[in-house]
This record gives sequence, structure tokens and C-alpha cells, in this order.
Amino acid sequence: MAFDNTGRNTRRNFLKAVGAGGVAATAGCLSFGDSGGGSGTITLGQPAAQTGDWDFLQPGVSQATDVAVQQINDAGGPLDREIEVQRRDTAVNPQEARSVVTQLVENDDALALMGLFSSEINPLFDFLQEQQTPVVTPWPGSGYLDTRGGDMGTPDNIDDDQWVWRTVIGDTVHTAGGARRALDEGNDTLGVINGNSEGARSWADGFVAAYEEGGGTVAQRVEVSLGQSSYQSALDRLFGSEFSAFAVSIPLEDATTLLSDWSDGGYGRQPILSDPLAQNDLASQVGGDLDGAWAASPGQAGPSFDSFVETYEQGGDAELNGWTPPAWDAMHVTALAIERAGEATPEAIQQNLGPVSRDGGTEVTTFAEGKEALANGEEISYQGAATPTNFTNFGNVFGPVAINVAGGGEFSQEEVIPAEDIRGLVPEDEY
Amino acid sequence: MSVRERLFGDGERSGGSAERAFLVGGVCLLVAALLVFTPLAVTVPGSSFVFIEVGTLFVIYGLLVLGLDLQYGYTGLVNFGHVVFFAVGAYTVAMLSAEGSFAGVALGLPWLLALPVGVVAAAVLGAIVGTTSLRLRDDFLAIVTLATAEIFHTLFVNFRGVFGGNVGILGVPQPIADLAADSDTAQIATLVLFGGVTIIALGFMTRLTGSPYGRVLRAIRADELVTRSVGKSTFSYKMQAFVYGAALAGFAGGLFALYNGAVAPGFFTIQVTVTIWIGMLLGGASNHRAVLGGLAIIMGLRLLSRFALEVTPVSADAFASIRLIAVGLILVLVIRYRPAGIWGDERELGVDS
Amino acid sequence: MGLAQNVIFGLVTGSYIAIAAIGFTLIYGIVNMINFAYGEYLTMGAFIGILTVGVLPLPLPLAAVVAMVGGGLISLLLARLFFTPINQTGPVPMLLTSIGLGLVLRNGIRLTAGQSARYFDTEAITFRFDGLPPLSVGSVDLLGGFFVTSEQLIVMGCAVGVFLLVHTLLTRTDVGIAMRAMGDNENLARVRGIDTQRIRDSVWVLAGVLAALAGVLLGIQTNVSAGTGFSQILQILSAAILGGAGSPYGAIAGSYVIGLVLALSTAFLPAGMTGISSAIAFLILIGVLLVKPSGLAGQEVREA
Repeated sequence: MAFDNTGRNTRRNFLKAVGAGGVAATAGCLSFGDSGGGSGTITLGQPAAQTGDWDFLQPGVSQATDVAVQQINDAGGPLDREIEVQRRDTAVNPQEARSVVTQLVENDDALALMGLFSSEINPLFDFLQEQQTPVVTPWPGSGYLDTRGGDMGTPDNIDDDQWVWRTVIGDTVHTAGGARRALDEGNDTLGVINGNSEGARSWADGFVAAYEEGGGTVAQRVEVSLGQSSYQSALDRLFGSEFSAFAVSIPLEDATTLLSDWSDGGYGRQPILSDPLAQNDLASQVGGDLDGAWAASPGQAGPSFDSFVETYEQGGDAELNGWTPPAWDAMHVTALAIERAGEATPEAIQQNLGPVSRDGGTEVTTFAEGKEALANGEEISYQGAATPTNFTNFGNVFGPVAINVAGGGEFSQEEVIPAEDIRGLVPEDEY
Repeated sequence: MSVRERLFGDGERSGGSAERAFLVGGVCLLVAALLVFTPLAVTVPGSSFVFIEVGTLFVIYGLLVLGLDLQYGYTGLVNFGHVVFFAVGAYTVAMLSAEGSFAGVALGLPWLLALPVGVVAAAVLGAIVGTTSLRLRDDFLAIVTLATAEIFHTLFVNFRGVFGGNVGILGVPQPIADLAADSDTAQIATLVLFGGVTIIALGFMTRLTGSPYGRVLRAIRADELVTRSVGKSTFSYKMQAFVYGAALAGFAGGLFALYNGAVAPGFFTIQVTVTIWIGMLLGGASNHRAVLGGLAIIMGLRLLSRFALEVTPVSADAFASIRLIAVGLILVLVIRYRPAGIWGDERELGVDS
Repeated sequence: MGLAQNVIFGLVTGSYIAIAAIGFTLIYGIVNMINFAYGEYLTMGAFIGILTVGVLPLPLPLAAVVAMVGGGLISLLLARLFFTPINQTGPVPMLLTSIGLGLVLRNGIRLTAGQSARYFDTEAITFRFDGLPPLSVGSVDLLGGFFVTSEQLIVMGCAVGVFLLVHTLLTRTDVGIAMRAMGDNENLARVRGIDTQRIRDSVWVLAGVLAALAGVLLGIQTNVSAGTGFSQILQILSAAILGGAGSPYGAIAGSYVIGLVLALSTAFLPAGMTGISSAIAFLILIGVLLVKPSGLAGQEVREA
């Protein structure tokens, strides 16, 4: 091979190129920003799913975050400073998330993190505690966080805090709304089919637990892996049992395959969908057989949902999903926490997330209203787009659950189960 | 030939480099011990944390790449499921030592007991895979190891009662973090300790492959038939190289579990295998320091490319894809233009056959 | 649970895999490499198909043909750019190059096409056969009623058509005979005056065409996104190796074994274990390699 003659030369050039590239990268790209304590821009970090299995959900969350930042900055910004969001890809991989979190906190000087999924938070929980930086995330539904996170109801004392807050309703809670409706409709026996990803499984677990608690029986539960070209044999197995309705919890793309298979197979019976599936795409792809299928969706009936949608649609054309309004809420509640604290530090945000969200004080739906009320010396309670955003002691939220029913190729809202009813389904000290 | 003879019988090829590695590694362990067991504390600037973080992962992956190089670089075994031994070591240690995990088995035994069991578990799995597959052709071994890794990944995800499903095993003890004065010190101590372990492993590997034993391995890679014809049982040599590599990966997994405090399937994806393979080829297989260098380059590039986000004119969404495209292109270009790696020797590897 | 119904599901799944696995195994046999980027070939085919349907607009069957032509050309282009220059370096560097190429293609597609899934607009007609008498053995019903949809029939029909065409190509045409000769012994083939580079190019084109067809069919059944083909690569690879790498006939057999195992294990594994059906396919692969390393078809087919 010609390589042997020129090997030495090639190698030296190669090393030179690598070296030069390395130096250029180091010189040009390493920025160790100033500390967030003083004046200037306030940086918030957003670990994001720009690649990986869940990347199709990120555009909506990014857009909601960006329009929220825009609106907050237009209203003067917290402490009259601009907010900037540094978004970095974790691919929903805990290993990647670990170094992204470190980089956001230490190098970008992010004062709070506006992201992270269950599958990243759970195995990194101890690590996140060490960061002493609040995580205000729209993503995780996992039951693991039901009794972990928040400020334990003592905002001033940060020693007992667990730094993780979620603006999305936990699976155990909103699935209780769905289970209640399933029972109310007279379904004594159910089938359940779910994917084996954490999100899909956690929904199914919550739903089954609440349904059985309410006196229902699960006749058959089938777990499937994601990304299959057909789910026919899993359906055949599921429908080998007797039941009147069946619950489906699997990511959207696989759900489209699965429910198309269901429609082709003519299995019939009432489908109950997990909340991420209330998407018009699904209804139009599966067609008329899906008419009457319903999903209990949290996070789309908060007090300021309508005005959120209006602002959101001006910011781009990313499809709205179940995590989009919570992302808006996360940004607002964080900005208000900074405003109330009077200083921009992770500890200050952590100590003020509870006070600006919980009941009592002037109800505000935008940052501008909140800023004004705080300037007048009032306490405030942020009313979000997804939920009223009243953080529990464990940093969780309750909210109304909307029942969306498929019909004519799209989903429309049929009824709303009020937040108080949902709250009644879960013991106080377990969420 | 006993292990002792293998390691200390004949060091002509390794020269003084193995001794130097033992010395440096030993000093690292001492420094780490000092940081862990005394109230001594160090402070580092926050902006360097991400480098310490990735550096710690690098030295853990360093153990993987050293084992992989013993298998591929020296013996010619194409192991495409190396991550499974890493995972089995980590899960074994985690399940034995964890207390109060959210899901899965957590026995709460002392971690000092769990760590060796993790190594043994990985070695046993290595022996099973080896016994069944080492007689297969090279590329079939690649498939069997790849399939083994996929099977275990599926088991970890699906058997929640045992492995904790996607959540994994939480509540694993973190001895260094518990003993050290503060979290800065713990970070540094972890890096120095694991770094020392990896350097000592490098020393052992240098000894092992510099000995007559190592020469047999090279001979197997060059031409298995000839090696067999001079009366060497090539199967048992291949088996040993495979099991050593697996055990080292299991050890790395155990260290990882005790450092991270939790294990989950997301830490043990095929991505890990791909990273260490790229590192090994980039540096140059069958050269211990070269494979570590290659790994450092690929992990460093990935890290630095994240800093490049600020100076590139594209959106963050596009940037995430572009980064991965760049990693793919680097792999393609290195294989095309530096098939023996940056520091490798083409004749040694016989890549220009 | 009806056995007949699950066998049909298995045959359908096997058909998708088989169409792709033939291309994969031909590359393996003749170019002597495991092409890990092959899943992305499926994805590109599916995208060409959906673009043709959406932009031009052509009816679906014609769009599939356009996709196959496009897939063949892209495959040849990629081979010329990435694989032909390193043909002599051996299987491992080529495998690694294909892993790198896969990363580039997958993310390149994501970059240009975005992250959301697209769907072919199709309607399926379902044919039912409910009159069959049950033939029960324990809880398993060997016959039972079953159904089959028009989409499933099209997939199986395409697969049979592909098998016949590939068989004709390999046994009746000069190129095909030369392919088989090269798969058996490349040096001998070269001595006999076969232009090995031209044959390799033909294999790349054929593999690209088959991948694109499989991609379009898969896109019709599921969806079209950057990960469409990648999610299938391990099954395609298993099927090809299972059948005896390099043998198209073995790949067909291997594909149906995998398809049937996936369907039957989902149907009959104990409750709570249905999620591991893909692992069962790998276990069978390892099992076959241990008992008969040459794969199901082994040498006989190659020597035919």
C-alpha cells in the first residue's frame, strides 16, 4: 500500500491538524462566564432531548421556553435583568446528562435547570442534590419523585430541601383521574398494553394501581418493546381475555402503529389512551375506529392555558404536546422566584419557588403582573398554563385533568375533572 | 505458566515503562488515600468541574479500553459487546451493596465484599461467552458479543423486580463521597484514585503483553494456524485474554457504581462500546498508551464540541445533530487515512494486508 | 389464542426483514463486510417514497419504484465514496466505517427532515376467516379464526416477488452467476475473468433497491422518521447471520425464523415477560451459531 512510503509525513500532518484543531477549539470555545450574582444577563440551563428517543417532544418544549423568556424579558425581566437560556443536548441519556448538568451549572453559571427526564433524574438524584441548584422540569411523571424533591414546606430552611421541582402532574395523580372515569363508565374489567420505556410503564403502573384501588380488575396486561414493525401478536394476546375497555400507554409513533393494527384487526372495545397520545396525528392516522377513545390529559387546562396558547403560536409552529405548557410554567415560576428573592442565586430561587407558587397572595398569570404585585409589596401565587402550579411540599403540582375524546380525526375536550377532585384521590403526605 | 511468571518473568519488551506506571499509579493511590482519609480538603474552580467529571469517566472507560485492546489489539478477538461486562460488574456491585433502592434487588452488603463479586461475575460471563463463541470466526464473535449485550440490556429493562427496570438500582453506597471532607475533595479524590487504578492496570497490561505470554497472543493475532502448529493451545490463550478483559471491565463497572451511587440501563448502552472502539482505533490498537490517548481524544472532542455551541451560527437543535455527524466523520476518516491509528504501527496490526 | 393467526403475524414480520436481509447478506457475502449503516438505507428509501407521494404527487406503487431507483443510486454512491476505497482493509475496518457512516446519515436525515414522524396515507382492507373449526391442544388453539389485511398481503406478496426475482437474477443472469461465484471464492472468480469491481457495484445497487423497498413497506406499516431503519438493523443482521451469512436463501429462512419467534414468543411467553421477545430472537441466533456456525442454510446452498 502506498501508505508505507508516506506514512511518516502523513502522520505528522495528521497530528498537526489534530493539534491545531484542539488548540483552536480550546481558545475559541471555552468560555467561563461571569458569576450570576451581580448584574447582567441571568443564565438558566436547559438540558434537552435534541437527539435520542424523545427528540420529537423537544421542539414544543423549546418553543414554549423561548416564548416565555421573550415575554418575561419584554416585561423588564427579573430584577430588571435579561434571562438567557442555555440549551444543551443530553439525548435523554443519564451519562450525558451528568456532564451536561455539570457544564451548565459550573461553566455556563446556570442558576436553575429547566429540564431533565425521569430516566435522568432518578439515577442521578444524589448527584443533583450535590449541585445545590434547583431543577424545575416539565418532563418527569415517575412515581419516584412523588415523595422526593421540593422544599418540604419550609422555604427558608434549605437544609432539608431536595432541589427537584416538576411543573407537570405526576403519573400517580393524573392517572387516578383516568381510572376514576374508566370506573364511572362502568368498566369493571380492563386490559392494559404498555411499552417498556420508563414513561409508558410509569403511566400504566399509576393507572392500574388507581383502577384496582377503585375496585376494578385488570384481566390482562401485556408489555411490549418499542420500535416494532407490528404489534399484532401482542394485541392478539391482549384480546384473548375478556374485558370491556383497554388502556394503551406507549410513545406516540408506536401507538400509531399499535392502534392501526388494532383497527385492522377489528378487535373493538373501548380504548383508553395515556395522556401523551391525545394528538390529532394519532386520530387522523388510525381513523374512524378510534372515535370515542379518550385520554385523561393533565396540563392542558390550567388557569392561564388560553393566553399561553395565544403567545405560543406566535413563536413558531412546533406541535403542542403534554409537556409544552409545563415548560412555560417552569420558566415563569423560576423568573418570579428570582424577582421575589431580590437576588439571582440558586439558593434564592430554591427558597422562593414555593412562596411564589403556593396559595395565598395575589393571583398572577404573567410575569408582568407578578413583577408589579411584588413591587407593591404583595405576596403572589402564580397561576400556570398547565396547572395552577401550587407546589406541594415535595415540589409536585396538582391540576385539573381534561378528558379529550377522539372523533372525526381529532381530539376535543369533553369535560374537565377539577383539580380539587384529583387532589382528593391522593393522600396528602404521599405526593 | 502462572500469572506471576507472566507478569514478572520477562520484561524486556516493556522496559521500564511498566515500573514507571506502577510508581505513578502508586503515588496517585497515596494522594487519593490522603484526600479521603484525612480532613485535608482541596478546592477547585467550578469551571473545571466538567473536566473532572469527564476525566473520571475517561479513566473508568480507560479500564475498558485496556481490556478491549488486550482482546482485539493483541489477540484479534472482535468483541462488540464489551459494555455488557461493564454493566454486569456494575449491576452486581449495585444490587449487592445498595440499600433501599426504589425498585429491584438491594441487599445492603458491604461494598468491599460486593466489588470482588462484581469482578468475578463479569469474568464468569466472559468465560461463558468465551467457551461458547471463541471457536467461531472473528466476525461471528462480534455478532455473539453484540447479541449478548442486547440480551442483557433487554433483561435489565424488563425485569423490574430484579434489576429495577429503566429506573435501575438506586441507593448504592458512595464510599469516597462519604469519607472525604467535602464534595470538591471527593471529586478530586475519585479522579486521582481511579486514575491511579487505571495507570496501575496499564502497568500490569504492559507487563503481561511484554512477556512471552504476550508474544503468543500477538502470534495468534498474526496467524492462528501457525501458532497452533508450534504447539500452543490457542483456544486457552484466547480464552484467558477474553476473560481478563471481561474481568477488568467488571471491575470498572463496580467502580462506576460506587462512584455514581446508582446504575441504570441508560449508562450501559451500545454507545459505550462504540466510544471505546473509536478511541482504541483512533489511538492505535495493540499499544496500551495509544489506545488511552485515542480515547482521550474522542472523549475530549465530544466535550469540547459542546463548548463550540456558543460560537456556531446554528440552532441548538441542529447543533446536536451536527456534533454526532462530526463524530461519525472522524471515525470514517481515521479508518480511511490512519488505519493503524495515530500512534499505531501498521505492520504490527497487519491492516494493510 | 390462535396459533394460525400468530403464524400469519410472524410471516408478515418475517417478510419485512427478509426483503432487507437479502440485501444485507449479499453485501456481507460479496463485499465481505457487515454494513451497520444498512438501517439508514431503509430510512432513506422511506423518505424518498414519502417525498415522491407528497411533492410530485405520484401514486404509492410508483413512488415505491422511484424510492427503489433512488435507493440503488444512493447505495452505489455511498459505496464509491466510503467503502470501495477501503475494500482491501478487511472486515473490521469496514464494519467500523459503516458505524461512522450510519451516525452521519442518521443525524444528517434528522437535520434535514426534522424530528417528527411522517405517515403514508393508506387504507387497509381486512379479510376475515372465522369459519375454521378450533383444534385445541391445551390452551393453544392450533387453527382458530384469523384475519389478514390487504397491507399484510402486499408485504408478503412483495417479499415473494423479491425472492423470485433475486432467484432468477442469481441463477439465470451473468451478473447473478458471477455474484455467486464471487461469494464462493473471490480470487477464483477474478482468475476466471470476472470484473469483481463491477459485480460489487451491482451488489450495492441491488442492496440499495431492496433496502428502499423494505423501507417504504415499513414506512407504510409504521411511520417514516430518522430512526425508522435503525430500529430494525439488529433484526436484519440477526436474520442474515442466522441464515448463514452471505446466502440469500439462508437470509430468507433466517428472517422467517426471527419473525415467527417474535410473534410466537409475544403470544406464548408467561405474562410479564412479553417485553423480552426481541432478546429471545438473539438467544436463538446465538444458539444456532453454536450448533451450526455456518447458519441455517450453511454450505449446501452456497455450493448449489
